[in-house]
Amino acid sequence: MKPTTSSFFSTAWTIAWKDLQIEKHTRQIMSVMVMFSLVTVVMFNFALETNLDAARNVATGLLWATILLAGTLGLNRTMAVERENQAMDTLLMAPINRNAIYAGKVLSTTIFTLALELILVLLFIVFFNKPLWRPPVLLILFLGTIGYVAAGVLIASMSIQTRARDVLLPVLLLPLSLPLVLPAAMATAAYMFPQQPLFAEVQTPIMLIMLYDALMLTAGFTTYHYIVES
Amino acid sequence: MIKIEGLTKNYGTNPVLRGVNLHLQTGEFVTLVGNNGAGKTTLLRIIATLLSPTAGQVSVGGWALPKQSARVRQHLGMVSHQALLYGDLTAGENLTFFARLYELDNAEKRVERALKTVGLFARKRDTVASFSRGMVQRLTIARATLHEPEVLLLDEPYTGLDQDASHLLDDLLRRESENGRTILMITHDLTHGLNLCDRTVILNRGKIAYEVDSQSITPSQFLKIYTNHTRKK
Repeated sequence: MKPTTSSFFSTAWTIAWKDLQIEKHTRQIMSVMVMFSLVTVVMFNFALETNLDAARNVATGLLWATILLAGTLGLNRTMAVERENQAMDTLLMAPINRNAIYAGKVLSTTIFTLALELILVLLFIVFFNKPLWRPPVLLILFLGTIGYVAAGVLIASMSIQTRARDVLLPVLLLPLSLPLVLPAAMATAAYMFPQQPLFAEVQTPIMLIMLYDALMLTAGFTTYHYIVES
Repeated sequence: MIKIEGLTKNYGTNPVLRGVNLHLQTGEFVTLVGNNGAGKTTLLRIIATLLSPTAGQVSVGGWALPKQSARVRQHLGMVSHQALLYGDLTAGENLTFFARLYELDNAEKRVERALKTVGLFARKRDTVASFSRGMVQRLTIARATLHEPEVLLLDEPYTGLDQDASHLLDDLLRRESENGRTILMITHDLTHGLNLCDRTVILNRGKIAYEVDSQSITPSQFLKIYTNHTRKK
């Protein structure tokens, strides 16, 4: 079998397709992430009820915090399916590029996280009355998700091999996500006013998000091979 | 087909395999037996390209491991006591997934044929999690042979199977052997191993302790030899 670019993408898609099929049968990932997010948003809303202005000011930070926390649940689950019945061995024994496994996992987890974010955006509009349904905000969410998932799949692939996997993933991933979340929350907050900002005002945080994405994807594609083989 | 020379594998400072030499001819069926911790699974996982050796040479079909692992992988199939399947996918989806991974032509027809061969076509749309242990093991064989590998590696495939399921597995393995596949099987069931294979090898404390043509020895004679070789000193 010749390792071609088309076979790389088709293998990555096959692995993502498998994760989507599993989710179609079980609905475990989405139900857990959505329930967690719903409870978190309601809790934030009650906690900040007395000061609605404060709630609105911190809403974008809360949105990103909820994405990060709910995302770790999804990441844990997408990696756990490979551990059950040692299914990962069959992927490692297949004549495929190891990076295609990483790409497939990033693709499926990105789809799950984006679906969660759509629901979260609607929840935040309802509970915090923020204009989140704007193309630039959705673009920031998309860019931020790529970096977060790229780092998450890498860390989850390492932590899943340890006994403390459930604890290790958030402990390692959340600090690693800070350089992403800070500019992402800043850029999102800039769009929360009736008048939209000039691109120059959000250029730096958006560039930082894109740099983070590039760094994490590069780290993923250069180290995944070693992580799964060790 | 499989050549192993001076194979050593250490986990940290702990030696698991200590200079193993083993050759398997094309189409040969070899059973590997030994006590727990003898290094059987480690040996199989090295051949399966899942582990790298510490020292020594291993080649499959002329390709050296671990350097040419990518070439070797498409010629290998593995059946373990673990299902190596996705419990939340249906039988059909599992096989379709592997057919796509191996980029097989006529994937749909192959999947259908494989399910018929192991008698699971009627359960094509049921999730693997709803299968009995015997059915899972039959599906595992269908998965491992879907891409028609030249080498089949079996790691305690009889674990947890009842009598009927064991007989069914015997038939499937005989058929695979008759089809010319080179088979290396690990088992704790000495009688099964001896009845099915061409050659039986005892691995003890990371070394080949004894090997014999399976037709030239009775189960009771072999049991005596096995006990002598594996008795803890």
